[in-house]
Amino acid sequence: MKNSRHTKTAAALAGAAAFALLAVGCSSGASSAEPASSDNPVTLTVTTFGTMGLDGLYKQYEADHPGITIKATNIDTGGNALTDWKTKQAAGAGLPDVQAVEEGWLGQVMAVSDSFTDLGQYGAADIKDRWVSWKTEQATDSKDRVIAYGTDIGPVGLCYNKKLFKEAGLPTDRTEVAAALGGDDATWANYFETGKKYKAATGKSWYDQSGFVWNSMVNQLPEGYYKADGSLNIEGNTALAERWDELAGGAAAGLSSGQTQWDWGKGKAFVDGSFATSVCPGWMLGVVQGQIEAAGGNADSGWDFADVFPGGPTNWGGTFLTVPTTSKHPAEAAELATYLTDAKSQVAAFQAAGTFPSVTAAQTDPGVTGSNELSKFFNDAPVGEILASRSEGVKAQFKGANDSVIQEQVFGPATIALDKGTDGKSAWNDALTTLKNLDLK
Amino acid sequence: MTSIISPPSAPQQKHGRPDAESTGAPSSGNSPRPSLRAKFGALDVKVSPYLYIAPFFILFALVGLFPLVYTFIVSINDWDLLSGAGDWVGLENYVTELTDPYFWNSLFNTFSIFLLSAIPQLIAATFIAAILDQNLRAKTFWRMSILLPYVVTPVAVTLIFSSAFDEKYGLINNILQLLNLDPVAWKSEVFPSHIAIASMVNWRWTGYNALILLAAMQAVPRELHESAALDGAGAFRRFFSITLPGIRPSMIFVIITATVGGLQIFTEPKLFNPSSSTLGGPNREYQTTVLYLWDLAFNRGDFGKASAVAWLLFLIIILVGLLNFLISRSIASSGGGRGEKIGRAARRSARKNAQLLAREAAQENLKEHRS
Repeated sequence: MKNSRHTKTAAALAGAAAFALLAVGCSSGASSAEPASSDNPVTLTVTTFGTMGLDGLYKQYEADHPGITIKATNIDTGGNALTDWKTKQAAGAGLPDVQAVEEGWLGQVMAVSDSFTDLGQYGAADIKDRWVSWKTEQATDSKDRVIAYGTDIGPVGLCYNKKLFKEAGLPTDRTEVAAALGGDDATWANYFETGKKYKAATGKSWYDQSGFVWNSMVNQLPEGYYKADGSLNIEGNTALAERWDELAGGAAAGLSSGQTQWDWGKGKAFVDGSFATSVCPGWMLGVVQGQIEAAGGNADSGWDFADVFPGGPTNWGGTFLTVPTTSKHPAEAAELATYLTDAKSQVAAFQAAGTFPSVTAAQTDPGVTGSNELSKFFNDAPVGEILASRSEGVKAQFKGANDSVIQEQVFGPATIALDKGTDGKSAWNDALTTLKNLDLK
Repeated sequence: MTSIISPPSAPQQKHGRPDAESTGAPSSGNSPRPSLRAKFGALDVKVSPYLYIAPFFILFALVGLFPLVYTFIVSINDWDLLSGAGDWVGLENYVTELTDPYFWNSLFNTFSIFLLSAIPQLIAATFIAAILDQNLRAKTFWRMSILLPYVVTPVAVTLIFSSAFDEKYGLINNILQLLNLDPVAWKSEVFPSHIAIASMVNWRWTGYNALILLAAMQAVPRELHESAALDGAGAFRRFFSITLPGIRPSMIFVIITATVGGLQIFTEPKLFNPSSSTLGGPNREYQTTVLYLWDLAFNRGDFGKASAVAWLLFLIIILVGLLNFLISRSIASSGGGRGEKIGRAARRSARKNAQLLAREAAQENLKEHRS
């Protein structure tokens, strides 16, 4: 601890010194904070992952800021990016100037929030109203330092298959579907009841698998696997247990199709009528489209997107940009992060990768609300508008250090067990045993 | 090693000292020519050998010894991956790991996969080598062909096998269903998953081991085979009594490397089912010890415990390696005690044969001489 703190301070000092030197070197000219120039070239390294849609923006930034060169690395998946970040964080070296982090790791990031630059020094306060308020809350650490700027968010709506709904005699229009599930007051009880009707009418499953349903159920609670004070909150958490029982009841009634997460039989399950609804955060729409296309389906496969979600508004996933304290150019890095998260950039990112913006001005931009490839694929659903509406009322839930481990290793196997026919009680008890064995704090 | 190096340098040292004493002065100015050269020569003899071997030991100290020691230091601390070293906890991490059911589960999986891969692999490699040792046409072609799987990167192998072993859409289950057999849960049941992973390991390593054994077989003297054949020993008898004892050192090498590799297996189980949320199967069906270690360090962030597991695994590998060394020594020296006797008997009879032949030849000679 001592060692690492020393190195951190040293690094911070070095960073500050470098910045001071830069500032001194350029203070003669413009008074605005633009230390880098063609006489004083600065290379900024950026690490992103998955499809964040930022790649097209770097060139423009370089053109607008002579002297700045951006070296971008994109890691294929969030999981690999997490390992990459953790390894470099642990080694205390090799981190980029701008590091993208995922909401799922936020608990771990916040545990070492000292090693991220306080963006308040670089004008975070001036732009904090850019984002939906809960996104800024998520990016603020326990000492009220803003350490990250939000890029996309994952407000959750419901994907449903119009053709299958029609077969079962359910409404097919997306506003009617939303109303039938309870509109703004949609509850899980109602969702499972409708599912049972669907099952009775068609004999088919209602949703793809229990894992994603469970994730959204947990995310909706005021407190999830952790209490806001950072202590574990699973054993004896009645709100959590009640939802588990609801989920187990659904699985026992055969509402789950028991598909493999992220696989869905290489997309076949989306086109062969295995299930009629699916949990859809904004970024999932692109995933669903990819799966359907991989299995030979297209816009005619019948999938649509409704402005409703059982249990109320919730968010799943989303990304931030941070500036690690090891950066030698924190001012330039912060400025780049500011640029990459402004409304214009976020609209561009949405158009490039379908990532739904966390910036309110971008959410209402015609480039987001208008028709695009994605909305055409989902039966001309106004995807942008629906997602903006789904992001209203989301509350940031505290994520503990091991939140993602609990989700994956404790409740991952438990939800699979539910889908394979284990009863709710023993699956819950197995989950508690796993939790105990893992000895998580 | 030192015993070989020191003797030549010792006499020279003695030689140099009286020289310096006789002059009575510390300065070497009195007799500069011989002493400078002698000193340099002495230094050369004394130091050079160490310099020659130094690169290995320096590298080993940097990339082998240092991590080993550092890992041990980490393992006796409560060390979080991200926030760094915490309190000194002594051997507590070791104690917790030794009582952790997942640690034992990972050990069981590791050994199960190791046995399922190492044993068939070595048997197959030995027989393939024996076949390649025959007079085949296009020798080099066959020899290079069996090495081909080794050249392919394990990640690619795993991806191909992983898709073939897919439970719902995989090639193997499709074939099973064509034959009206039940599909096997390759990725969610303990034993089938172990077989699947062992098959990847075998695919990769059998050819490599076969080549090493083949090289060893070619070094076994042909005369032994010939004389045994003269004595009427069949191909199998010759294989067990002459070839196997003959390739003993290589066999030991192959077994030890297979042990070390087998107990450190990582890539195959890691990539076998990448969509699984828990590493090594939903309920850790094929989570090997290295995978468990990785999970501890990089998912759960407990660097201290992960290091303790690394050390435990290190000790286990040494133990198993020693055990294998002992077993393979006794097996290969005899094929179970019997082989060696037969080997000796064969050699003895070969010797007798030769003597007989020589005697006969001598008698023939004598006869010729007389006539």
